[in-house]
Amino acid sequence: MFEVLEGGIQTTVQDFPGRVGYLALGTYPAGPMDHFAFRVANLLVGNSQGTAALEVTVGGLKARFHDRRVLAVTGADMHATLNGRPLRLWESVGVEPGDQLEMKTVKATGFRAYVAVSGAFDVPDYMGSRATFTVGGFGGFEGRGLKKGDRVPLGRGDGIDRLIGRRLRPSLRPPYASHWEIEAMRGPQADPDYLTPADMEFFFSHAWKVDRNSNRMGVRLESHKWQWARTSGGIAGGHPSNILDNGYAVWTVNVCGDQPIILVADGPSLGGFICNATLVYASTWKVGQLVPGRDTITFKEVTIEEATQRARDLDATISERSIDRG
Amino acid sequence: MPQASRVNPSVIDTLHAAGERPAVVYRYAGDRFLLLEYGEMVLDLTMNFRIFGLNEAIKRADIDGVIETVPALRSMLIQYDSLRLPTRELVETLKKLEDVIPAVDNLSIPSRRLELPMAFADQWTRSDIERYVKYTRQDAPNVINGHNIEYIASYNGLKDAEEVVQYLCATEWWNACIGFWPGLPFMFPLDPRYAIVTPKYNPTRPWTPEGAVGIGGPCVAIYPVASPGGYQLFGRTIPIFDLQQRNPAFKANPILLKPADRIQWVRVTDDELEAIRARVYDGTYRYKVVEYEALNVKAYRRFLDSVKDAVAAFQRRQAEAVKHIPIP
Repeated sequence: MFEVLEGGIQTTVQDFPGRVGYLALGTYPAGPMDHFAFRVANLLVGNSQGTAALEVTVGGLKARFHDRRVLAVTGADMHATLNGRPLRLWESVGVEPGDQLEMKTVKATGFRAYVAVSGAFDVPDYMGSRATFTVGGFGGFEGRGLKKGDRVPLGRGDGIDRLIGRRLRPSLRPPYASHWEIEAMRGPQADPDYLTPADMEFFFSHAWKVDRNSNRMGVRLESHKWQWARTSGGIAGGHPSNILDNGYAVWTVNVCGDQPIILVADGPSLGGFICNATLVYASTWKVGQLVPGRDTITFKEVTIEEATQRARDLDATISERSIDRG
Repeated sequence: MPQASRVNPSVIDTLHAAGERPAVVYRYAGDRFLLLEYGEMVLDLTMNFRIFGLNEAIKRADIDGVIETVPALRSMLIQYDSLRLPTRELVETLKKLEDVIPAVDNLSIPSRRLELPMAFADQWTRSDIERYVKYTRQDAPNVINGHNIEYIASYNGLKDAEEVVQYLCATEWWNACIGFWPGLPFMFPLDPRYAIVTPKYNPTRPWTPEGAVGIGGPCVAIYPVASPGGYQLFGRTIPIFDLQQRNPAFKANPILLKPADRIQWVRVTDDELEAIRARVYDGTYRYKVVEYEALNVKAYRRFLDSVKDAVAAFQRRQAEAVKHIPIP
């Protein structure tokens, strides 16, 4: 059992790839905002990569273990400690009953950390997943973020001794910065049908500032005066960003009027605004580490061939081959 | 129609219109999704019927690597595993399916028919509309006598709230797609003689009761949970979303409605609605759902043809009425 002493800003149970298969019923998948750090955390403690683990946003989580387990913390540096001693990120350690995990808040770069424990955070399966969907208030631990007094059951953790001291090879740890280059593909609604080539050139070259009003539903970027290829949205509405409602791909860039918003884990599944670019699978994890109100992004256009090669490379990286013992 | 080329890198491929089949555009939506669109950007339910025909064809084809489909008005979003199923291969398979989908006229779409009780201009929506006038916009032209229903009447050239109720109950409502919020339906009238339209709230309404039903443009939606909203409200129905799954209707998941459902409103009083809602939550109410009553598109199009003149007459009446009505 994992006893929560402080829940922090927003700490949720997630799994990967989340609640897949319900988009046609209006439900985005939820799941981790940074699937790279999430999957690696599970790999380090000997779980399968999709196992339910914690996503800690900004920080402030404090908790006590009541069982012997293996623990790994990955992602943003929140100065995590175990019984007051600094805990190394991207490495697994053993925990004993009574041990206390404490995370302060993000300092320099990065926004989310992941906490995996051997044997999983054992919350109920809801519609095929254990991920918390914050918008609908379901999944995860009682459909909400963790708070003081919560006692989250842990699954069985076997073979603890051989799982201690595993680490992601240092060369493979992603560098976090305050400016990010994020790979994306043009479309589905870009130039020349909806925006002008100049609009798209601006989109793929500008350093976009991440709005402070960003969360697990959408990561907002600054507004921009687009030229637009059309004067209105016709039957769909007066503004040229309006289209007849269609399904939204997860991790697409939705241009709502003048403002681009990256639709992320808990976003809306369908709507009537254009999406001018879509982040590629191998790069979505970067969005989870963007610091709202501070970080900037440049979108780098890639082809489908580059995107699938990057996906293969990423999946290959998150494997036993990338683990050493320091 | 957009062409796939260097100058339009969002477009993977296209098919020109041929006979009964509309033009098809296949667009990239990243490396895990593909967006397919039929025809032009116009509101045409027959395009939506073809989307459902395609959806059935994709299900039957059981394509390895296709993860899920998201039907919408004239488009379909497809999630797929591009590492297992290369994009080019998926598009070729989808293009071949266009040849096996029956012409729209020969489509028979599996469709459930649901009867949902509705309290028109009920006390619960009235209360949130009154709050809107008090706290958000005192001079809202879309609120007449404390509700939106008389505004809906005047905007469409109908006599009064009673005639709005008659219109809403005179047609089945086709659920073209579900989205935005879990379980939220986007519904259109199957009988266009009763196709009322309205502008949306300005600014939007901070409060809407769960189960409220409203119209924005030509589209009717049910609010699955209490939330902000922009549609003109006309009544309240029973729950379509229940996280706690307290009724057998929510046994499989907390979402009642599916794409391609047909909804018929059945008028009840506020007291009756309250009693039914209590029975929904204690598990004794049985939702009135008829399964597997397919929609025959050929018969439907014959029907559309037979009511053409009446539809045109109503549209003239609406066009005349709009001239004299303020927009919010």
